[in-house]
Amino acid sequence: MMRNILILALNDLAISFKNKTFLLILFIPLFVFLTLNLVDETGVEASRINIGLVRQETLDPAIIASISAAENLVEVTWVETPEEGILLLKERKIDGVLTRNDEAPGSLALLVLKRDSINTLAIMQTFSALQKTAEGAGPDWITGIDSVHQGGIQRETLPMWILMLILLIGFIILPAQVAEEKEKKLLLALLQTPITEVQWLTAKLLLGVLLILAAVLFLHVLGQFGAVHFFDYFAILLAGSFCFSAFGIFLGFLCRNQATARTLGVIFYLPHLLPSAMADVSQQFNAIAPLLPSYQLYKPLQSILLENASLSELTFDWVYLVLLGSLMMWFSYLLLKRRWLM
Amino acid sequence: MQLAVKNLAKLYDQKRGLASASFEVDKGELIAIVGHNGAGKSTLLKMLGNWIVPDSGTVMIDGVDLKKRMEVVGKVGFIPEDPNLFDFFSVEYNLKLFAALSCVPMSRVEDILGDFNLLFFRRSKVQALSKGLKQRVSIARALLADPALLILDEPTSGLDFEMTREIYRLLNAMHAAGKTIIFTSHRPEEIKNLATRIMVLHQGRLVFDGSPQEYFQSEIHEELYAS
Repeated sequence: MMRNILILALNDLAISFKNKTFLLILFIPLFVFLTLNLVDETGVEASRINIGLVRQETLDPAIIASISAAENLVEVTWVETPEEGILLLKERKIDGVLTRNDEAPGSLALLVLKRDSINTLAIMQTFSALQKTAEGAGPDWITGIDSVHQGGIQRETLPMWILMLILLIGFIILPAQVAEEKEKKLLLALLQTPITEVQWLTAKLLLGVLLILAAVLFLHVLGQFGAVHFFDYFAILLAGSFCFSAFGIFLGFLCRNQATARTLGVIFYLPHLLPSAMADVSQQFNAIAPLLPSYQLYKPLQSILLENASLSELTFDWVYLVLLGSLMMWFSYLLLKRRWLM
Repeated sequence: MQLAVKNLAKLYDQKRGLASASFEVDKGELIAIVGHNGAGKSTLLKMLGNWIVPDSGTVMIDGVDLKKRMEVVGKVGFIPEDPNLFDFFSVEYNLKLFAALSCVPMSRVEDILGDFNLLFFRRSKVQALSKGLKQRVSIARALLADPALLILDEPTSGLDFEMTREIYRLLNAMHAAGKTIIFTSHRPEEIKNLATRIMVLHQGRLVFDGSPQEYFQSEIHEELYAS
């Protein structure tokens, strides 16, 4: 009996090698290891914060002197108006804006993108240390924190969940479905009818977009999250679902069977999800994320849902998503025409 | 002439595939392509069915290049060795889906279900059917658009004696109805009284093309199937 179990187990192992599932056994731990390293390397103490100071505001000269003396800890970016500071904050070029706190004279108010973030913690710790060095005991210089992102912690995580849904459908569900149709020769059967390749691709794309929109709608209904700027939100969701559905269809064409498609899907899914979703808690990820297509969706989602931004301010992002999606559709069309791996 | 194949080739490696084949087919012929496994039969038929893209050569159907898929798609029905049906749906759903895509009236589905004795199985899921029945549904589906040329790859592969006879009966009926039929088999004895013409493929090359009488009197049959 043991012999048979062993033979079957070895056979299963051989299958996992054959359909590339074993790649996940190597890829997932490696990816988690790299992720952990990137997070660990950005400890609060180690990071140098970039603070925006408004030129027109008159701050306590002692505070200015302390900040200037601590140039290895604090980099100062001078802005003309608080609005310019908010703009730089949204573009992730600075970590916070310090202004006079009118409610507590002599102290500072801090404006950050997100109240509960590693950047806010770093700023508070740094300024607390500077104050202690300059004055010893006494109240903290920063006595008020405002956040650009609106809503509670649930709403702040909403862009990440939406990105997760879109990538899950784009990178896991669609490639498997395309690969299944190829594997079972269903696609070839359909092409025995007078449908065109473009019609088949468009139908698959439509499926992806509808699945994504339905999933996002369901999430909104369950979480009772209201939409801000409905048209802009819907438009960026549409651009994102188009892009990642097209991406998923293309991945499906690269695979001969469902098992390979699932493996390839995970290999694309994790690196697209984590760096974007963790960009707010790690400066390393913050540097990597903009290189990924997923960030071009995540950032506008954040901006629209949390910062009241509109689509006109996000032209680069949606044009990027539409162009990438179109490119993927073109590649898929070429592979379909060549009957690639069918 | 209904079908003209010229220098058609598709090689997967040095030994597998079709090295080169040229032949013509007239309307109403019932052609059996025989050969051992790996002789290139399926490769040839898949190219005729527009399933794979040839390395070189041309295929003309009624004077139209096969590459112009949209112009020839209704003229050819290709039935693969393993029925490629939507397993998780019913027989009726499969036929109706393809009828809708082929712009064929739904009444045609009823006719086909009756013609192929599938009325009893119309609500059965395809995955619950035997291979013989699946093959019948597959042929029925190919006939929905009423193509003039039918191409069947190993239609009796894996079927028992009764089912094999049933498939050959269907081929005869379709031939009598005026269809041109090309099918493959690696059991030439079976198609002795069925085909009007036999073509033999060996190691990717067409080595015989003639009537069944000529084939069974030729040395080719002895050489290839002596044992």
